[in-house]
Amino acid sequence: MKPLDGVRVIDLTVAIAGPVATSLLADLGAEVIRIEPPFPRPLHVDIAPPVAGAPDRPYNRIVSYNDLHRGKRALTLDLSKPPGREVLLRLVAISDVLVENMAPRVMPSLGIGYESLCASRRDIVMVSMPAFGATGPLRERVSYGPGIDAMSGLAHLTGYADRGPMQPANYYCDYNAGALSALATVAALRHRARTGEGQHVELAMLEGELQVVGEALLDYEMNGRVQQRTGNAHPSMSPHGVYPCAGDDRWIAIACENDEQWVRLCSVIGQPQLAGDARFADVLSRMHHRRDVDAVVAAWTRTQDVYEAEAALQSAGVPASAAALISELFEDPQLSSREFVRLVEHPEAGWLPHTRAAFTMSSSDARSNRHAPLYGQDTDYVLRDLLGYSADEVRELEDTHVTARQP
Amino acid sequence: MTALSGLRVIDATDGVAGGYCARLLAGLGADVIKVQRPVVGSTLRRAGPFLHDIPHAETSALQLHLGAGTRSITLDVDMVTGAALLLRLLDTADVFVTGPELQHPALRPDALAKGRPELIVTSITPFGASGPRAQWLATDIVANAAGGYLAMTGDPDREPVKPYGKQAAYQAGLHSALGIVAALMVREGGGDGQHVDVSVAEASSFLTGGALARAHVFGRQSVRNGTRPVGLPPEYLYPSVIRPCADGYVYVHRHNRFPDLLAAVLQEPRLAAPDVLAQPLGHADETDALLDGWLASRDKWRAVEEAQEARLPFTEVLDPGEVVEDRLGQLTAREFFVEVDSPAVEGLRALGAPMRMTATPWITRRAPLLGEHNAEIYAGELDITRRSLARLAAAGVI
Repeated sequence: MKPLDGVRVIDLTVAIAGPVATSLLADLGAEVIRIEPPFPRPLHVDIAPPVAGAPDRPYNRIVSYNDLHRGKRALTLDLSKPPGREVLLRLVAISDVLVENMAPRVMPSLGIGYESLCASRRDIVMVSMPAFGATGPLRERVSYGPGIDAMSGLAHLTGYADRGPMQPANYYCDYNAGALSALATVAALRHRARTGEGQHVELAMLEGELQVVGEALLDYEMNGRVQQRTGNAHPSMSPHGVYPCAGDDRWIAIACENDEQWVRLCSVIGQPQLAGDARFADVLSRMHHRRDVDAVVAAWTRTQDVYEAEAALQSAGVPASAAALISELFEDPQLSSREFVRLVEHPEAGWLPHTRAAFTMSSSDARSNRHAPLYGQDTDYVLRDLLGYSADEVRELEDTHVTARQP
Repeated sequence: MTALSGLRVIDATDGVAGGYCARLLAGLGADVIKVQRPVVGSTLRRAGPFLHDIPHAETSALQLHLGAGTRSITLDVDMVTGAALLLRLLDTADVFVTGPELQHPALRPDALAKGRPELIVTSITPFGASGPRAQWLATDIVANAAGGYLAMTGDPDREPVKPYGKQAAYQAGLHSALGIVAALMVREGGGDGQHVDVSVAEASSFLTGGALARAHVFGRQSVRNGTRPVGLPPEYLYPSVIRPCADGYVYVHRHNRFPDLLAAVLQEPRLAAPDVLAQPLGHADETDALLDGWLASRDKWRAVEEAQEARLPFTEVLDPGEVVEDRLGQLTAREFFVEVDSPAVEGLRALGAPMRMTATPWITRRAPLLGEHNAEIYAGELDITRRSLARLAAAGVI
């Protein structure tokens, strides 16, 4: 049994944060139907090579699209045309959730704000994910995820002590907002199951991200202190850092949480006498001589293979890990054992890796094995099977470019 | 009514992941009881930063932030009597959140599942409860390294650098909360409880989103690239980068639908040249130099204002003080910070909700004092007599 068996989600999301939210809902068992505008999928630079024997339709092989939309169905629909809006509202009437992350003015301007959705489905759960919120002086401001890393303080706080601010790599804010929205959606569905009441959920990406820098914000609130970047240093651990290993650009993260782990580390690196060195006797002394500690550790790691060093330290009970390269995650014994990555076949793009959220469930397979949808893939499923349009009506919607099976 | 009304969660974890999970569930309305060691409390209470930098179990910012809305009892679960009391408490619970620090055999997920089929047991461990590395140790930087996210952040000419604070743990806490409400849907739909097995390293892997697919299809690594896009070819969009301005830094992004708009606003025609637009990321150095010229004569507020007027998604890089002072007025207008009646820190303003729900309000309450709810829960709910309580306290159990 999957947690969201029987739940239907309409996905009007764009960019990254929204699609992450709906892919998590698909993993939990919801039927997610993407409604996509009738112009070409933005042709990204990441087009997978064609599969022998499959039709050559590059727009079905966009790697980022197929990654973000795993587990979902798709229908192309022009919401600016009244018949398109009617299809959407008929679909709303038989759906449970609608997720969107457009600028706050867009949904109401299309005539599909929360009130309109409620008229079709009284207990709909609508989830909106604006950058800053639908209210306030910045409600119209535009931003992508990394721009919010800047405004939350996270970019100021991340990076080297002697260099400029740095947002965490990739799309931290989007993945954070996506998971928060999935949480809010399931919570709203739980409330609805108990009371019959739907609602409108708003996840402002900025407010979602402030949560993860709460201790820095309260430090300013309480002490007026503006925290600064400290790179890989830790306020109460030494050694704590990323050290070079043998080979080209290989690094290992090592942290000693207490004196006992430091003693073990000294023994692993073949210098047990350092455990008795007064400079390194306890964490306060080691913090004071942090540079010496780091030099001692790095002198050893530099001569070591990164994975051998990792194994030696972990065997001795010292927290350590290679800074794994992305390609290595496929072979990682721990992730493989827990099947964090599963290859799923896409008819036109070949086998693609599907990841999952950071948990397994003992009696629910909390992930979807459905490949990302082909362009317009579920036109008949949605219009005919779900909504009962006749073949003629479907053809008319296509002829009038309300729906489309190809860009 | 709140979204998680009627849900009782017992949280015996020690760190940020369990702490953030507790904050989220409490904010959504669950009754979250944090079980912590007598006298010293959890790591969160010892981590700081502290009010006036004086270490105190009640004034640690991490505790004030993550403990918000929870109830607090003290209990030494390593003592036999303590573990027995925890099991009694679990008889009243829907959810139990545990971590590697709980070693008592009766408290392990498989043992708990036997006698309590309805209980949702969530374990939060560095690498997950199964697999060859289930017993490996990790701090946040180590979990980030194992998950693959660490290698993606940093400058190419320096060592990888971790995100601020405890981001792997925060994300693991968020995923824990998601797993718990998912398991709750199964149980309230007529199913049993189950074990939600959270891995902090996997939370870090989740943040690499997209990079695995790129590695698989193109054989391309995603290695650190400063504040520029990571693991992408020269044809990828640019700028998306942090650059210095007259008084600080600005996050600069082009308009994705109108890539030549940037050139018009900055009056730098070169940014709209065909070879630049064909390979924007491939022209990053040249682009940065042009951006720097424009930004040098503007402070961050003015640069962003001018760009945003033209619908260019620029934003100011703000420090935590600037976030709280909120010169732009957004957080103030939305009443994000909420004054809570904290006995430990006078006038403390706590962070508000990550999400706003029209039917089920987020609950913002102060964090509890250590053991504040001992009498209420042990005597009031478990019917332990005051005399027994005094004995347990004297023995150091509570």
